[in-house]
Order: sequence, then structure tokens, then C-alpha cells
Amino acid sequence: MSTPWLIELMAAPAALGFALLFNVPPKALWMCGILAVSGHAVRKLVLTMDGDIVFGTLLAALLIGIVAELWADRHNQPGVIYAISAAIPMIPGKSMYQSVQALLGIATMSAEADGTALLVAAGVHGVKAIMIVLALAFGIAAPLLLLPKRSK
Amino acid sequence: MKAIYALTDILTLALKAGLLAHQSGAGTHRTSLIIQRTAKALGAVQVEVIISSTNIGATIERAHERETGFRKAPHMGVNFSLLTALDDWLLALEKDQLNADDAQLALDKIAQAKGHYPRSVVTLFVGLSCGAFAALFGGDTAAILITTLGASVGMAVRFQLVLHHFKPFVFASVASFVALLCTGLLRDFTSTPDTAMASSVLFLIPGVPLINGASDLLNANYLNGIVRFTMSAVIILGIAIGISLALRILGI
Repeated sequence: MSTPWLIELMAAPAALGFALLFNVPPKALWMCGILAVSGHAVRKLVLTMDGDIVFGTLLAALLIGIVAELWADRHNQPGVIYAISAAIPMIPGKSMYQSVQALLGIATMSAEADGTALLVAAGVHGVKAIMIVLALAFGIAAPLLLLPKRSK
Repeated sequence: MKAIYALTDILTLALKAGLLAHQSGAGTHRTSLIIQRTAKALGAVQVEVIISSTNIGATIERAHERETGFRKAPHMGVNFSLLTALDDWLLALEKDQLNADDAQLALDKIAQAKGHYPRSVVTLFVGLSCGAFAALFGGDTAAILITTLGASVGMAVRFQLVLHHFKPFVFASVASFVALLCTGLLRDFTSTPDTAMASSVLFLIPGVPLINGASDLLNANYLNGIVRFTMSAVIILGIAIGISLALRILGI
């Protein structure tokens, strides 16, 4: 990941499109954007400190989940309305695409060709994508579910 | 003095609130809590809830009376404004600010509320959101622009298909095919075509079922969690099939 730090701000529009799709209340949109940028930047920070992307995603997702739940609980709202849109920019779209591309390569290669490299590429990118998605999903869900709620 | 309501009315209201939550993207735990809290706020003493992916049901009891009801709960679009409004409604109910009739009216109003954002605006912003993905993945300006365009077209197709009640697998494969084809045909403008094409289908990622599935599994609702993950997997398979067909046509 060699993109400049300023690019992290693009996590906000990436989250916002989904927030509109999920009909998030207009008053909650700015928080979705802030959480999305913070989460994505935390993941980049972990990567620059020689951490791996799965751990970075888990850490960032936990952070989004915790902040979203604390914030939402204070305003008597469900935490998911902030957390899910904010998590979206960390979806490993590129790994997923590379995996599908390699699978297509296997489907279209000639009968005699050796597909080992393609199979390895499909597997590695696919498994990586699955690990990132699982880290994301469980990282977001855990704080929403497990943090103690204020008594109402 | 608190009014005493018939158990049937209590159950109708509790199931309606639960149904709205279930269909707007609440996890199993949240839906179950909403049914229980609604019934108890209106005077039920004991409440048992069952929630599967396509049905919800509850039995409520008070002294020697007992009432049971079920509702079919087909999947609908995610609606977080509705979930928020439902939380406020429930809080007002628990604080005795609403009687059963008012609660019924308020719930109908919540159910019929229109979305905050017109479809054209959502389509455009979802396109922009995929453009932003292209930027996050290191794409150049041209990649961002063509991704935005392709994803917007794909999103418009998805809206049309959803309006005609096509199943998720169908709209995922058709919309990803269209989005990728549009982006792929314009790939000569960018030096990062793979980034643009990878980003153009991301609007179809089933984010809510994935996160709710994880939430269900963590909360020991294993069956519902697996159902949600399976649903996500089918949608992702649909996306993959759309991509592979489009790539064949583009000759990549």
C-alpha cells in the first residue's frame, strides 16, 4: 500500500454512498464519514508499522465498532447505523477481483496448459479476501453486541 | 392507572414492530429484544420469541391467558432510518407516553415513511462511492471517473431489477455484468484498468448480511448466522459470475 495519506480521505465518500443506500438518517451521515476515514487510516497505520492487513482490519473494525456503539448509546440509537457504512471502505475489493480473474484464467486455459500458478493466485487472493472480510465483520459486530448498554 | 390491553392487540403490535426491524436490517438479537420489550411495555408478563430468516413468531402470556402468533418475514431493503425511528418509538412506549392506539398509528407512520434520499441521488452517490474505492486502491483520476460512471449505470440496473422483484442472485450477476462492461469498455483512458474494474462492482457487496451474520454467530444464533453468511456467499457468487462473463466479452 503505497498510496499517499491524503487518499485516506476518500474513505468518506466510499462510505457515504452506502450510507445513502442504507437510508441512514441525514443527521448521522457526518459521523459515518469520520468513522470511515479513521478506521481506514488506522489500518494504514498498522500497515506502515509492519503489521499485516488482516490484523490491521480487525483492529480498525474494532475501533469503528466501539466508537459507533458508545456514540449511538449516548443518543439512544442503534450502533449499526454508524458502524456498517463506516466498515465498507475496508472491503478487499481488489483481492476479490484478482481471485475471480485467476479463476477465469483457469476456466479459459487450453487443455494442456499448466494452471498451477493461476490456481495458487486464485487461492491466495481468495483466502486473503475471506480473512479480511471475516476480520471486518466480526470486528464490527463484537463491540455492538458485547459492550454493556446504558440502562434506559 | 395503566390501561389493560387485550393480549391479541399486544401481540399484533409486538409482531409488527419485530417484522419492521427484521426486514430493515436488524440482527436476530435486536429483533428479538424489540418484540419482547414491546410486549412487556404493553402488559405481557412472559414473552417467548422465535426468529428464523423468513419467519418471526412469539407467544405472550399474562396470568392465565396465552396468545401465539407468527408472521412471514420476506427479506426487504436495509433501512437504518426506520431502525432509528423504531428505537425512539419503543422508548416512548416504555415511558408510557403512548397508549396502544397511538402506538399503532405511530408504527404505521414509521412503516410508511419514505426514504430520505431520492433514487437518482442514491444511484449517483453509490457510483461516486465506487469511484472513491478506485482511489483507495491506488487508481488514477481517469480510473475514478470511469468507475463512477460504470458503477452508477450498474446501480441503476440493480434498482430496476429490485423493483421487479428479482432475486439477489439475479440482480447481483446482471448488475455486476453491466457495471464491469461499462467500465471495461472505457479502460483505455486509464493506466490502472484493473483497479477501475475491481472497484466498479463493489456496490453489490452484501455488507449488512455479512456483519449481521457475524453478530448472530457471536450471539449464539448459529442457524440465522449461517443463513446470513450463505446469503452473502450467493450474492458474491452472482457478482463473480457477472464479472467473469463481462471479462470474457471484453477479451481480457
